[in-house]
Parts: sequence; structure tokens; C-alpha cells
Amino acid sequence: MRVFVRLLSTLLALAVAAGGLLLAVEVGWAWWRPGDSPLLVPWPPWRDRLAELGWDSPVVRLAAGIVAAAGLVLLLMSLSARRRDVRLHDPVSEVSVTTSPRSLARLVGHRVRAQDNVTGASVTASAKKIRVRATSRLEEENQIRPRLLEAVSSLLDEVPLLKRPKVSVVVDSPKDRR
Amino acid sequence: MNQRSTSARALARSYRTERTLTFVVGLGAVLGAAAVFAVSFGLFGEFRARRPLMDPIAVDWLGGHATLARIVAIVLGVVLFVLGLRWFLRSLRPEGRPDLVLERSDNPLTVTSSAIANAVQADAETVGGVNRARARAVGDSEHPALRLTLWLREGTDVRQVWDELDTRVLRRARESLGIEVLPTAVRIELESGNRQRVV
Repeated sequence: MRVFVRLLSTLLALAVAAGGLLLAVEVGWAWWRPGDSPLLVPWPPWRDRLAELGWDSPVVRLAAGIVAAAGLVLLLMSLSARRRDVRLHDPVSEVSVTTSPRSLARLVGHRVRAQDNVTGASVTASAKKIRVRATSRLEEENQIRPRLLEAVSSLLDEVPLLKRPKVSVVVDSPKDRR
Repeated sequence: MNQRSTSARALARSYRTERTLTFVVGLGAVLGAAAVFAVSFGLFGEFRARRPLMDPIAVDWLGGHATLARIVAIVLGVVLFVLGLRWFLRSLRPEGRPDLVLERSDNPLTVTSSAIANAVQADAETVGGVNRARARAVGDSEHPALRLTLWLREGTDVRQVWDELDTRVLRRARESLGIEVLPTAVRIELESGNRQRVV
């Protein structure tokens, strides 16, 4: 997403520069030679068309809707392009350390799968929250869940994360379905 | 600017300007469209909504202040062009790889960015648990920093790698360069194991 915003931002920059250039050139040309036809943009027919359209015409509403949708997409993309890295404590003052959410999830997943009676686990992690979804064939959720929470918690004690994420554990066990 | 922020800024390329400008353009589009909707649905009166987009009142006003309107339009166009071009070049510019200037005296001593990167990279790969490492110089020549990405084998003790990095790899780099501080951003990636995963 970050790379995409950079690409989009480059295109927007090009559009702004081109628009500004055309505006200055056309206005200057029309001022210098009022009788001549426009230089690059055929704007007089556009002006005449705009003089016919009312503010309440469907075309104007459709155009405004499209612009609003495009603007919303830009807003959402620029907001979602933030850094998602997980900060670790600085070992010394001029060294900063991060890890990726995926690496943190792998670390937790490795620890959870190493526990007894865990058949499988999927983990999603961010700097704020770690979600563990484990499956167990032999134990019920209320038996194994405290143990898994404890395991993840002791792992987080070992990893020097800057902020301790919240941990949620869900256990899927056939024994609970009876 | 202090050293800590230099190393923190070296963690990843900043997209703050690009994100902010994209956000501003998006916000402008949404607000403009909202204003058009407001006029169109008669929020400023039914009469207003039925008038044409190129409103004769506005056109007359512009005709009355033609010189001013033209100057404003040309200045606006030039400003947009210059800002847009600067923004464009900024977005296209690759991230810098500054060389490290150790002495700025009569006989300047410079260490190229690739020399530092290769030395630290080779050293970091000898740390236990590190599968591969990549190092590069980032920042500008006033605030150079090192970005080190480490891929660890699954099951490696992150804390131990973290300790060994400073006490061995980075200290050696600092000592060989003869500098007190070398701002460094370390990105740790944990690789998945090769074992078959049973789902």
C-alpha cells in the first residue's frame, strides 16, 4: 500500500503541475491575443456547455459523485499507508530496532505450536494486538486457554517490544462441541 | 536533531510528504463534491440550484475585474506548476546513499556507502541465527545512518541476536571507522522454517 501511495502521489503531482501550466499558458495567451483560437485546450466550447448546464442537472450530480468517490479512495489509501512495523527497545541510544508484524506473528505461532496438545495455530499480530487462534483435539478451551496465554505472555517478556501488545487467544476444540 | 531520531528515521523511507499531499488532494475532492451537492440539491435555495454552472453574475464580475482575474489565474497556474513539479521530482527521487565523511580537513577522508554496507553485512551474517543480512547507508550526508536488515532462522533467540549485534558487529564498525556514534536502524525479519506445516 505504501508503494502504491507513492506511485499515486507521483501521478497526482504530475497532474497538478500540468494543470497549473495549462492554466497559466491559456490565460496568458487569451490575454495577449484575445481574438485567436486557444493554444492547447479548446476551452470556449466547454465554457458554452457549462453555461447551459444547471447546478441541479443529473450530469453535474454524477460528476460530483465520481469526484467524491475518487477523493474518498485517496483519503483511505493515504490513511492506510502508515508504517506497521513493531518497534523494539533501542539496545543503545543510537540504534533503533523494528520487526515486521509477520515476524512477530511467526514468533508467537512457533511458541504456541510448541505447547502440548496444540494441533495447530494461526496468529495475526500488529504493534497493538496479537490474536491467536489455536486448535486442540485433546483439551477443552477453558483448560488450554490459560496455558496458551501464559506461554505468549512469557514470550513477550523475552522479546524487548517497546509497547506490549494485547493478547487474545481463541481455542477451537472438538471437545467443546459436544 | 539528535542521534536517536536519526536512527529512528533510518528505519524506513518516510512517505510523510506523499501521504499528506495525497490526503489533501483527496480531502479537497470530497469537500468540493460536497459543496456541489449542496448547491445542486438546493441547500442555498431552489433558485440557486437552477442557475447555470457558468453563472452570468460571476462571469460579469470577472469581466469587470478582468486584469486582476487574469493576473490571479496566471500566478495560481505558475504556483501550481512549480509546486507540482517539485512534488513530482521529490516522489521520483531515489533514497540517498550518502558516503561517510570522516575528516573534513585539508585531506578529506571519505568512506563510500558501499564499503560500509559490505563490511557490516559480512560481519552481521556471522552472528548466530542470522540467515542473511543486508546493509545500506541511508539519510543525507549531514545525518548519515546505517540500515541493517537481518533475516533470522525460525526459533532464534531474538534477544541474543539483539545483544550480539551491538556488542560485536556495530562496535567493530564504529571502531574501524574511528567514530563515536553510528546511527543504525535494524530491521529484524523472522523467516519461516522449512518444516512441513500440518494444518
